[in-house]
Amino acid sequence: MALGRQCWLTSIAARTAVLRFRCCSRVLAYLNYIIIFSIKMSSCEFQAVVLAAGRGTRLPEVLGDSPKCLLPVGPYPLIWYPLNMLSRHNFTEVIVVVQEQDKLEIQLSLEHTPLKVKIDYATVPNDSDFGTADSLRYIYDRIKSDFLVVSCDIVSNVSLYPLINKFRADDASLALLLFKSGFESDVVMPGPKTKYKPERDMIGIHTATQRLAFIFAASDCEDTLNIKRHLLKNKGQLDVYGRLLDAHIYVLKKWVINYLHRKEQISTFKGEFLPHLIRKQHARRSTKIAPDTTSELGVGTKHEDNILHYVTHTALDQKLTQTSLFNQSLSHIPYHGDVVRCFAVQAPKDAIGVRVNNTLSFLAINRKLAGIWQELCGDAHPLISPGAVVKSTQTKDIIVADNAKLSEKTSLNFSVFGPNCIVHPKNIVTNSIIMANAIVEEGCNINNCIIGYRAQIKSGSVLNNCLIGPNYVVEEGTKSQALQLSNADQYMEIDIQ
Amino acid sequence: MSQFQKEIVQAVLIADNNVWNFKPLSDEGSTALLPLVNVSMLDYALIALNRSGVEEVFVYASLYLQDIRDHIKRGIAAYASWSFKMTVHVIGGEGCRCFGDAMRDLDAKALIRGNFILLGADTVTNADLRPVLEQHKRTAKFDKGTAATLVFKECASGAERTGNELLIAVDKQNTRLVYHQRLRANHKESRYHIPLDVFLSNSCVTLHHNLLDPQIAIGSPSMLSLFSDNFDFQTRDDFVRGLLINEELLDSRIYVTLLPPAQYAHKVNNWLSYQLVSRDIISRWAHPLVPDMGVYNLQQQYVFYKDNIYKSHEANVSKVALQENVVIQAGSHVDVGTTISCSVIGANCRIGKNCQLNNVFLMANVIIHDNCQLRHCVIGSTSVVHENCNISAGCVLGAKCVLPANTKLANTLVTSSPSTQRTEEQEQVELEAIGPSAYIVNDLTTGDPDDSDAEDTLLPQTTTLCIPKMCELQQLANVDSDCSSSSEDEDEDESRAATPLPDDTNIFLSEVIDSLSRGFREKSNPDFLILEINSSRYAYNMSLKEVNFNVVKAVFGMESIIEPPNNNVLAAINAAFKQLGPVVSNYIKSEDAMLDCLKALEDICEENELVREKISQVVHYLYDKDFVSEDAIHKWYSQLDVQEHATLRQSLAKLVDWLNQSSEDDDDGDDDDE
Repeated sequence: MALGRQCWLTSIAARTAVLRFRCCSRVLAYLNYIIIFSIKMSSCEFQAVVLAAGRGTRLPEVLGDSPKCLLPVGPYPLIWYPLNMLSRHNFTEVIVVVQEQDKLEIQLSLEHTPLKVKIDYATVPNDSDFGTADSLRYIYDRIKSDFLVVSCDIVSNVSLYPLINKFRADDASLALLLFKSGFESDVVMPGPKTKYKPERDMIGIHTATQRLAFIFAASDCEDTLNIKRHLLKNKGQLDVYGRLLDAHIYVLKKWVINYLHRKEQISTFKGEFLPHLIRKQHARRSTKIAPDTTSELGVGTKHEDNILHYVTHTALDQKLTQTSLFNQSLSHIPYHGDVVRCFAVQAPKDAIGVRVNNTLSFLAINRKLAGIWQELCGDAHPLISPGAVVKSTQTKDIIVADNAKLSEKTSLNFSVFGPNCIVHPKNIVTNSIIMANAIVEEGCNINNCIIGYRAQIKSGSVLNNCLIGPNYVVEEGTKSQALQLSNADQYMEIDIQ
Repeated sequence: MSQFQKEIVQAVLIADNNVWNFKPLSDEGSTALLPLVNVSMLDYALIALNRSGVEEVFVYASLYLQDIRDHIKRGIAAYASWSFKMTVHVIGGEGCRCFGDAMRDLDAKALIRGNFILLGADTVTNADLRPVLEQHKRTAKFDKGTAATLVFKECASGAERTGNELLIAVDKQNTRLVYHQRLRANHKESRYHIPLDVFLSNSCVTLHHNLLDPQIAIGSPSMLSLFSDNFDFQTRDDFVRGLLINEELLDSRIYVTLLPPAQYAHKVNNWLSYQLVSRDIISRWAHPLVPDMGVYNLQQQYVFYKDNIYKSHEANVSKVALQENVVIQAGSHVDVGTTISCSVIGANCRIGKNCQLNNVFLMANVIIHDNCQLRHCVIGSTSVVHENCNISAGCVLGAKCVLPANTKLANTLVTSSPSTQRTEEQEQVELEAIGPSAYIVNDLTTGDPDDSDAEDTLLPQTTTLCIPKMCELQQLANVDSDCSSSSEDEDEDESRAATPLPDDTNIFLSEVIDSLSRGFREKSNPDFLILEINSSRYAYNMSLKEVNFNVVKAVFGMESIIEPPNNNVLAAINAAFKQLGPVVSNYIKSEDAMLDCLKALEDICEENELVREKISQVVHYLYDKDFVSEDAIHKWYSQLDVQEHATLRQSLAKLVDWLNQSSEDDDDGDDDDE
């Protein structure tokens, strides 16, 4: 009982906070409202949630046994980047959802990084079927206000303010951020040649209003795209993007998680819940529904299932919308009377945004990181760790982690060297990633390769476009091209030219 | 090419685009000369070109060539406003059978020297096409494969469909057309199917749903040669489709421009759009193409009064009679007690006492006698309508018709003599007479859709069986779209509510529908279909009763029956049962099964409006073909709830009575035999 009351108060407080940012006409009308409740205002408008319980199924080659969110991206683990982004936007507290088994490891590695945010870990069970929506449902009771959901694999320098402002201005239920894709387009995937098909989302956005009409994976539909007529009907124009990248940064209303909590059969956020919510934009408060429910079977649940039951849209809100001077359309009521509203905001063209969710993008971000580091993080963070020993004189755009030893007489370009790795003299390393504790012996030439954790390259090897798995030992004098060498797939070792 | 002289702006006007749609008036003269608000359509097109700075026009016509030549000559002699600074050539011939032929002929004659404006003779526009032409030239400089730039106009998406509406997809960066679909008239799609490749091969594609095609285009010289190279291109739509499909092969691309909001453009391709465009011209949307501007011969013909009333000085009519949106030509006479609204009265018409005219279009010299009620109709020149006639809902009277007194007509086409119909090699169709010189033209028989491809008329393939006719227009597009959207949204919600419950029955049903649709399409062996259905049945553990019920439901759930061509659901059902009858009768054997079958029909009635309307015929059909027995129908009928299924019972009552009767007859017959 007490908890419920508290929730109610905080939700009102959060709402009043939101209201402060709305356009003038609304604020004026809300003035009384604010005065009444301002005593109970809390300090936070948005909570932030970072989802880091992913298993990285698309990075099997490089993952080894560590969690996905600890993949090294330059000097820091992957999860540091979204956390740093949130801290840049003055978030002081972030909920990080991790798998139970990984919590300690993540905690430990984040302690070594400079971060100003307070991290509140939420653990989910180590269940392989646990989706992102499940994770959110799991932390349901920690969400007290409108909130941001950020995936742990986003590396970006984008400003979230345009996104948040769109969310505020249109009183949106959801706003998401889109990046230009193609960051990794000029990088060749090492390992055996496979037909790499980037996953693409088809995203429909109404040109004038930035309203989301649909979003789904291109692989989900067959040869034709089926577009419902009502999506086009009132709006006339619809932009369909096939090459934008969903950043997995969502701003959501508090009520959305209540609704998600109810919809127990939904397991993933992006794949199932997001399209569901977008579809529900056209849901209408039906006048018929009240008498109908009593006559039908299974009545009680039906009302609860209706999304409009959850939307905090009061009669006052409705009046405000009607009287507000703000309207995007000349001939229709604002938003066509839709209560659930989803928007998409495109990041500026020069913004950097990469999702490190597969091996290719992992390689791409690491190779290019030194070049974009200045834009991404500013000067605050050095690329060559003070604890590293770099004796090499011929280096260009390299990133060296703590305690790595790069010997003299080496030529090292566009590469990343993980903690405790050792590069012996007389080596040439270009466009590659040498992960933690790996050893490269003398006289090797490594180009466009990923050398896994604790792998060992014996002297005289020439590797081109190769994936070397964790703990693998490349024999002396090996000359390989476009191969994946690992202990896991024994059969791969046979094929050495 | 401009070495010798300044490049002159050329344009091509294609007449006779939609001849079939303007029956019966199209049988009596060129459609290009059809008067629209008392000015022939060709003049509107010529003025539009003149206003866009065109210097040389080729009017391409295939029918009534001499009439058009004469009209042009008369226009030049009378100093028509288009005759200044513009030369007009009339070319063409009877050999030309379609738009594509016209283009090929133009190519052969090598009359076109550069980029040209291509317009239908039935287009009414006040747009300045010069910027569009300039843009086309810029695009052509950048992309050598530019074949054409199509010009479209935004419209309200809730409006009446006239067959000009389009759904297109355009590359957002360079306005290249990537997908083109003409929306069918009198049909509302619930969803659009667009090939995925369109979106995958372009980074951003804008879908435009609210566009009208006014039949305006800017053509490159290559457009003509493309028509010559591809002799199967018949219409402009063929051309667009062909280029989109074989984009790389033909190395040609089409670009799109939208007219600015202030400019008007519409194509008059059938009677419905004739009514719409007349309304727009009268209410001055097409300014300066309005009646009082002396559109055609630079002299003030009308005085413009408030409420959009245009009255000629020489018209004898009291002002009270004219309510709003009326144009009345010189020499016309309207008697007392008559009210006219939203109408166009041609020259020298006489309208008797106490008539009511609403949305009526009278050509020259029409005589309407007393006490007539006319709504939404077109009366050809020198026709006579006698006393107490009631003509409504899209009637069209050809020239010189005489309607006898007390005639009641709705939705019919009337011609003055039985022989004027263009039947060509077809056998003479006997026309129903309603008077000595009034014969009903059946627009359903004249244009069999199967023949339409082979027929010589220049009709586009999109025409449906029935000519779109005038009707009551929704006055407020907004209100309409809002209310329909809300109802539709509810539908959507309901369907959505249904979809998340893919219980076994629904999956089974959808699988059966899939099997049957495929079987129907590919005409596969019914035995295989039965096997398929049975395997589905065991997969979802359906009882026999459910199978019976769902098989029948599935037959009626096939797309061909849900959305039958021309809304002719009975024909669709007949076709379906012809193919799938053995499958159905495999399940519907016992009387219980028949009852299941009829119960399924009851369900279908609620979902499918078309079937609901024809339910008694459908049941009768099933009875005829021995799918259901008489007893089953009786039993079903008696089980129908009196209140809940009142309408269903009502529509079946006649059939049941008939069954009763015939069975009694049978009994009698039996008695006689004994």
